[in-house]
Amino acid sequence: MQSNRLGCLTGTGIIAALITTMVIAGYIFTSGSLMFSPGALSTHSDETLGGVTSHAEIGRDCKACHTAPWESAKMADRCAVCHTEIASDMQSVASMHGKMSHDNPSLSCRHCHPEHRGADAQLTTMDSALFPHEAVGYSLNGHQLTAGNEPFVCDDCHHGDISTFASDSCQTCHSQIDLAFTQAHLLAFGTDCLACHDGVDHYGDNFDHNKFTFQLTSKHANVICTQCHLDARTIADLQALPQDCNSCHRGDEPHEGRFGSDCAACHTTDGWTPAKFDHDLSAFKLAGEHAEARCEQCHQNNIYKGTPTDCYSCHQGDDEHGGKFGTDCGACHQPTNWDNVTFDHNKSNFPLTGRHTGLACEQCHTNAQFTGLSNACTSCHADPVFHAGMFGLDCAQCHTTNDWLARYNGSHPGIADEGGSGVNHGGGTCRDCHTQTLSAATCTKCHDSNNPEGEGGGGEGGGGDN
Amino acid sequence: MLRGNRELWLALLAMILITGLYGLVLFFTREIPPASELFGHGIGIVGFIFMLMTETLYSLRKRSRSVRWGRMSTWLQLHIFTGLVGPYMVLLHTSWKFNGLAGVTTLLTVIIVISGFVGRYIFTRIPRSMDGMEIEGTLSQEALKQARRLMALWHTIHIPIGVALFIAAFVHIGAALYYATFLK
Repeated sequence: MQSNRLGCLTGTGIIAALITTMVIAGYIFTSGSLMFSPGALSTHSDETLGGVTSHAEIGRDCKACHTAPWESAKMADRCAVCHTEIASDMQSVASMHGKMSHDNPSLSCRHCHPEHRGADAQLTTMDSALFPHEAVGYSLNGHQLTAGNEPFVCDDCHHGDISTFASDSCQTCHSQIDLAFTQAHLLAFGTDCLACHDGVDHYGDNFDHNKFTFQLTSKHANVICTQCHLDARTIADLQALPQDCNSCHRGDEPHEGRFGSDCAACHTTDGWTPAKFDHDLSAFKLAGEHAEARCEQCHQNNIYKGTPTDCYSCHQGDDEHGGKFGTDCGACHQPTNWDNVTFDHNKSNFPLTGRHTGLACEQCHTNAQFTGLSNACTSCHADPVFHAGMFGLDCAQCHTTNDWLARYNGSHPGIADEGGSGVNHGGGTCRDCHTQTLSAATCTKCHDSNNPEGEGGGGEGGGGDN
Repeated sequence: MLRGNRELWLALLAMILITGLYGLVLFFTREIPPASELFGHGIGIVGFIFMLMTETLYSLRKRSRSVRWGRMSTWLQLHIFTGLVGPYMVLLHTSWKFNGLAGVTTLLTVIIVISGFVGRYIFTRIPRSMDGMEIEGTLSQEALKQARRLMALWHTIHIPIGVALFIAAFVHIGAALYYATFLK
């Protein structure tokens, strides 16, 4: 009765073993490996991939998804056969699937998309900590713990469907954290949180405005965002804010536009006062004594813009010349001192040459008249009686400013000299013959009347002073 | 009572402890421990090892002539202990899903435990020494004969169920290794 064999190896035991093995083998033969299935496959149906609309349709074909342990192909390779779009996403870290598999190389499709959990089961479940949320446009860096100090789960923000998101998810929690701030923030910037926030916490306590072109220095550093960024709803709105002073400070302007709109020309962000105005940056540099003048000496009635820059506008009252030198004071005067006069007559239309240079001003400018004088010689020099009206009024035909000696080379009536006009008759000057006036002549100064050939003989003689 | 059924009380205690552990896992993970994860898989493996021990150790000791190690009654107590705790752990391993072959295996496990209870009842009808040897003379010949016949009948039922159970279990393990554990 008793033996060393195991108690199971009885006749009925062996028969039972055979029957069980045959039943299992028969079942595998007729139904494949279906009896090993731990649960029904999903009937979820979105689109037709690989010729089927749901996993359930290939539920009897285990090999469609399962690979044998000794095969080189992995299960994910079987997924890729139908899910070609996802398979190509996996190649790019810019995509959610690509980023996820790049960050977690050990992850496979089935880790987030488990199956055999029933016909109606969710096909996507994952550890939210694994999900590369930043790859779908919103990082969870700043969302590690909820307002209740619990780790976030998808449902906290997504309310049942992870493919959608409503901003009221933000408001609900953030109102619990800081109700006053949240309400003010929503009022200031609107309810579309994701228009600005990407979860990396760009705009939180670590926000550094100085990374942008408009640096917040001194008093600007203490203003609240909405003092400048009014009605901004997106990042583009925030960035579109003009950076010139006037676009924010127009209302602060006590100068009523008289200084223009570039506040920073005088003011700094340390405060409106003290202001430093550099007049030399304006169109009218303050040279010489101008630098000592008080503002209101030129800028009357507190009007600073549009003040004329010509001398006379201010200095008309200082004009000791009574307007006789015109209105361009700067033609003679320097800004250092009225007495520092540098008048160059040669820059006028009557340059002073020859004997004119030694004259006192009033010799020509009688009655202190300095402008409007005629350039004509006759305006100063009268035709001498000696000319007897024979030469007209253009003195310069014969005379220069060096002296009155005439250089007349014209014809001379009545007498002749050797091969000439007769002007140089006997080498004399006009006055040798014409002692009083050119209309009368005497020969006897040279010629003796009794000896007309001899020295001192008289005759008609022409002026020809050399 | 306690002395006579020590293995039953110990088995109950072990099952309560395992249930407590199961409850903790349930509380912290907020899901029924899946058969494929650390806890669910662990109790499945340990439970099956217990069931294997139930099947083999007592049977080997009973048939061994050379090594007489430990009392038969102690081995029987261990047989009963592992025969209760092992199946209970396997039951928790199911995560309360009874699909396909795994479900059949669970069913067979439940049957074999019930069958084991029945067998123990018949077995204790026959007076035995501490070594498990039958003691003559306390029962009438007729009663003893009937008890032995009953015992033999029980064996012809219990053993095939057990064999079927283990074959189903091994196929289940093989399929689990193929389709899940070694899945790449």
